[in-house]
Amino acid sequence: MLFLQTLVNGLALGGLYALAAVGFSLVFGVLGIVNLTHGIFLVAGSYGALLLWEHLGIDPILSIPPVAIVLFGVGYVYQRTIIHWAVSRASLVASLVVTFGVAMIIRNLLQLWFGPDIRTITPSYSFSSVTFFDLRIDLVRLIALGMSLVVLLLLTALLRHTHFGRSIRATAQQPLAASLCGLDVERLYAKTFGLGAALAGASGAIIGIVQPFSPATEAGWTLNAFIVVVLGGIGSPAGALLGGVLLGLINTLTAQYIAPSMTNAAMFLVLVAMLLFRPHGLLGNAMGESR
Amino acid sequence: MQRRTILKSGGAMMLAGLTPLGAAFAQGQEIVLGGSVPMTGDSAETGLNLLRGYECAVKFINEEMGGVDVGGTRYTLRLDLFDDASDPSRGTTLIQRQVDEGVNFFLGSFPSRMVLPTASITEAAGRVMVQAGGAADDIFTQGRRRVFGLYPRASRQFISPVNLFRSLEPSVERISILYTNSPYASAQARGAEAAIREAGIELADLIELPTSVNDVTNVLSQIRASNPDVLICLTADETSILIARQMVQTDTNVPLLFQSLGPQNAAYTDALGSYAEGVTTLAAWSENVAYSGNYFGTATEFANYYRANFDRQMTYHMAAGAACVCTIAEALKTAGTVEIDPVTEALRNTDFECFYGHIRFTPEGDGDPDLMGTIVLQIQNGERVVIAPDGAKNAEPVYPVPNWRDRT
Repeated sequence: MLFLQTLVNGLALGGLYALAAVGFSLVFGVLGIVNLTHGIFLVAGSYGALLLWEHLGIDPILSIPPVAIVLFGVGYVYQRTIIHWAVSRASLVASLVVTFGVAMIIRNLLQLWFGPDIRTITPSYSFSSVTFFDLRIDLVRLIALGMSLVVLLLLTALLRHTHFGRSIRATAQQPLAASLCGLDVERLYAKTFGLGAALAGASGAIIGIVQPFSPATEAGWTLNAFIVVVLGGIGSPAGALLGGVLLGLINTLTAQYIAPSMTNAAMFLVLVAMLLFRPHGLLGNAMGESR
Repeated sequence: MQRRTILKSGGAMMLAGLTPLGAAFAQGQEIVLGGSVPMTGDSAETGLNLLRGYECAVKFINEEMGGVDVGGTRYTLRLDLFDDASDPSRGTTLIQRQVDEGVNFFLGSFPSRMVLPTASITEAAGRVMVQAGGAADDIFTQGRRRVFGLYPRASRQFISPVNLFRSLEPSVERISILYTNSPYASAQARGAEAAIREAGIELADLIELPTSVNDVTNVLSQIRASNPDVLICLTADETSILIARQMVQTDTNVPLLFQSLGPQNAAYTDALGSYAEGVTTLAAWSENVAYSGNYFGTATEFANYYRANFDRQMTYHMAAGAACVCTIAEALKTAGTVEIDPVTEALRNTDFECFYGHIRFTPEGDGDPDLMGTIVLQIQNGERVVIAPDGAKNAEPVYPVPNWRDRT
């Protein structure tokens, strides 16, 4: 039963990791940019949900659409301006430095606006748990896991069955060919980046219910997203889900059967092993077949 | 070549104009207190608490006491603190710059992982640091002679809590400890372990956590299996909130939850609401303690002065920060000079009472555990009351605390 409980805990944690990483994975897969501002978008989503909760009483789950829309706009403009300028004038590597710098600036701005204090969102159900036989899982993590699956399914449907999704995939696979077919590649890049920011904001709204956050927590979420992408593969929702669940299971199994202090060490050990033996992750680069 | 020389000279002159007057830090009837504080980054919450304490004391000493009388000359105090962004490399670089500029007296950063490297620099340069942000044993046991801490070293902070546990009825038979692998928490855990074993109480678990934690559900499974009477969490504020929330969510009940950091702050009670009831914590000071002295008067008067001048909600960190400034001021008065060596000697012999308590240092520089030992707070009806030691308490401990489901 302890093993089953550990697996359930790992799945719940993995759902959270997957949700937090899918936007990062999409941007990495389509634009080839390691977006170090990802954690900032996520924490901004948490603060957005907090504001709506505190001032308008809107439940964090219901705050996902407005938070995602705002962050889509922010991500769109950010890509069209700063990132586009950096990439077009230097190289993709420049985007790494630029996103790192912007993350530092926004982290400090968030701290100026909201203060450095740790914040939490506590709707009435945030302390509840669900029991199934002897297995117990807290409700908010269950909700996070469910939302993670919903968001990942919606993203999969969007990428597979809509013109916008097909355009994104085409652009990711062959930007020149996509451009020759009449697609506005630059605008698609911006929309994809906006979508990545929106997904990060949506996950931030949910993570805000699950655990405490402050501007300083953003770096940890960017790092987790990077590990998830390395584990699962780049660009696909399925890869993010697989990577997230694996990371969650590594975390809980290590805590339970080796030592809680070794969880980070185990995560990085697996990260190094993956980079050595399967650098494209378990599912490979979903967007890069033709590159 | 000539143009380059002119540019260099001009640049140097401009820099000289912008840089604070190095060697004149103790001239012009002004004494500069340098140092760093985490105003941003992951330690900023407590860093800002300390900063407000420093500011409060300097304001009081300058405006209400007319400065510090040093050998018949009145000096005002001036803070020259920068944001180390909770980053040791940034902190050490900028502290070194202040050392090079001639700052002689330093206030400390937070937490121990920031104090340790910055104190090493001030010590190596022969400067003085008085701090209330680090209590890891390493700060005081590596032979530093000019670093003074308001708190007893971490391994000596569990005398009051363990005495409390021994006095509780029904008796405490088993204790579990969770701690993060930071310098402070590790030393505190070693001290707690020794004190618990010496008290004849069984140590059911001693579990180390990584510094950054996202989930403790599995650890809580182990705690439920161990069924301790007291769970001690030696973790940072954010992790303490996470642990308490997941304890509620997983219905992990213990008769007493003790968390070293977190419950002192408003963020903790905001996050947990009524579930925070009964949680106990350590503190170095409470405004209810019966101490008084020349600076601010009583503890309550300090609290009143602080609230009249600053908005940030008060915790013991503000009092400790203010006490650091008062301690330096007292040493300057005693030494009668701003020279470093006599002031260091005066700090070593510090023995005075103020709103914070009776301040005296051990030969290694940490707070005397008999005089400056920790007090134990418990959240009762939303207030943080003192439940130990006996001489300082203003409420009886609630033990065992109700189960989580009965606290709503």
